[in-house]
Amino acid sequence: MHYLLSGIFLGWSLGANDAANLFGSAVTSKMLKFRTAAILGAIFVLLGAIWQGQAGIETIKGLTLLNLKLATISSIAAALAVTVMTFCRLPISTSQAVVGAIVGIGLIKGQLYLGGLGKVVVCWFGTPIGGLLVSVTLYRVLGVIYNRLGLNLFQGDIFLRLGLIISGCYCAYALGANNVANVTAVFVGAGLLSILAASIIGGLSIGLGIITYSKGVMETVGSRLVKLDAFSALVVVLSGAITVHFFTIVGVPVSASQAVIGAVLGVGIVKSISTIRRQTLGAIAIGWFMTPIVAAFFSLILYFIFQT
Amino acid sequence: MGIFSFLFKKQKMIETLIYTYLDNISLAEDNFLKAFDVYFEKGKCSKEFDLLTAETHKAESNSDDIRLEIETLMYAKALIPESREDILELLESIDMIPNCCQRILYMIQTQNLIIPSFLYTDMKELIKISLESCLLVRGEVKALFEEQKKLQKLTIAIDQNESRCDQIERRLISRLFDSDLDIYQKILIKELILEMGDITDRTNRVSRQINIISIKRRV
Repeated sequence: MHYLLSGIFLGWSLGANDAANLFGSAVTSKMLKFRTAAILGAIFVLLGAIWQGQAGIETIKGLTLLNLKLATISSIAAALAVTVMTFCRLPISTSQAVVGAIVGIGLIKGQLYLGGLGKVVVCWFGTPIGGLLVSVTLYRVLGVIYNRLGLNLFQGDIFLRLGLIISGCYCAYALGANNVANVTAVFVGAGLLSILAASIIGGLSIGLGIITYSKGVMETVGSRLVKLDAFSALVVVLSGAITVHFFTIVGVPVSASQAVIGAVLGVGIVKSISTIRRQTLGAIAIGWFMTPIVAAFFSLILYFIFQT
Repeated sequence: MGIFSFLFKKQKMIETLIYTYLDNISLAEDNFLKAFDVYFEKGKCSKEFDLLTAETHKAESNSDDIRLEIETLMYAKALIPESREDILELLESIDMIPNCCQRILYMIQTQNLIIPSFLYTDMKELIKISLESCLLVRGEVKALFEEQKKLQKLTIAIDQNESRCDQIERRLISRLFDSDLDIYQKILIKELILEMGDITDRTNRVSRQINIISIKRRV
């Protein structure tokens, strides 16, 4: 079972990093206590993983044939890529790191299923674009509804606070359902775990990351999101959740951060304001491009180290 | 909202405190009016006037304490940041109104001002309209928290009151300087008139602020 440790570590770092997308704005603005947000996040991640995590697991395990040793190598390579990219302060996608690491191994073994990979790459492109399109639509539709409700200051406040909490829970559910595959799918392919066990272990490790180590990231990322007004923050979180959930149904693990970034850009378009600096966008593009390459590189190195 | 009510307990407390705050301000304004009634009746400062000045100060001071309580509660994780900021700024602006009333009474008391009787009628009207504006502003705050549709009507009324008070203020100053009073007395009374006219200016500013808060909440 110690083989699983690399996967659990990956899940833990995923939870620690991605929790900011769920409740960052609510916690930073002190609408919600960190402890409550973390517990809610962990519960809904686990629910999502168990309920809808299977499709992503099937896709990832279908990319190549891995034995237990190779699965562990790919998992460690992905974790290393995530760590290195985080250290370089570049935005990372665990999904891209995992797929990059698997592709690295698959290339060496000559066992790469390009059909599945094509679907995954298309979805990577689709994530920020999807986030953007959903947020543009949602901002307009929800805006009309919100205005028609004619809420007073306190009612509007309740609406937005509840909306942020509920959409945060929904985003946690979508994150669990979508990203659990990144954590344990390779071990399902290697025959170590059943899909249900993989969902539970993956969900728990992401949840553990949220509870134990997400506070700092949540405060950093959340303070960026909170610069948006509460309504925009609600649209961003909800759009991110809808986008990630859509790709969960498609069966491809994607990056919740990229969906949220797309949504932030979408809000900027509707409001004709600049929500993300060019420099940040550049870093996101570099991270987006480099993560799978770095992960593939690490898996190749690790493969040769373990072979010799 | 039943199952989530625990999340909004502090919000309810803030709402209640704001209404208590408004009641205190209303009390300060009532005492201000009574103090002037006494002054106009006696034509000078008196013990009763001093007592009502002290009562005005007490109500103003109480409202400051309530405002502090609201601020503390706001920073203890109640409301979304925009609402917190808007409410705090709004209360700060509203607070200027009883401060102004208190300053006027202190001016009369400390400088032992003798207001010439030929100014009484206009001054009474100025006070009446100013306090009517204060009442309308409190109505606006309540509308912001209860039913925002009422805001427009109240805003127009407050704006009209400000124009009327400006006219009265100018008329008072003209009449004052047309009189044979000593120039020093004229200057002192002019300062008092300007301060009295400031009440509706402040209510108008609060009214505009409330409108901006309301407009900001439209998507």
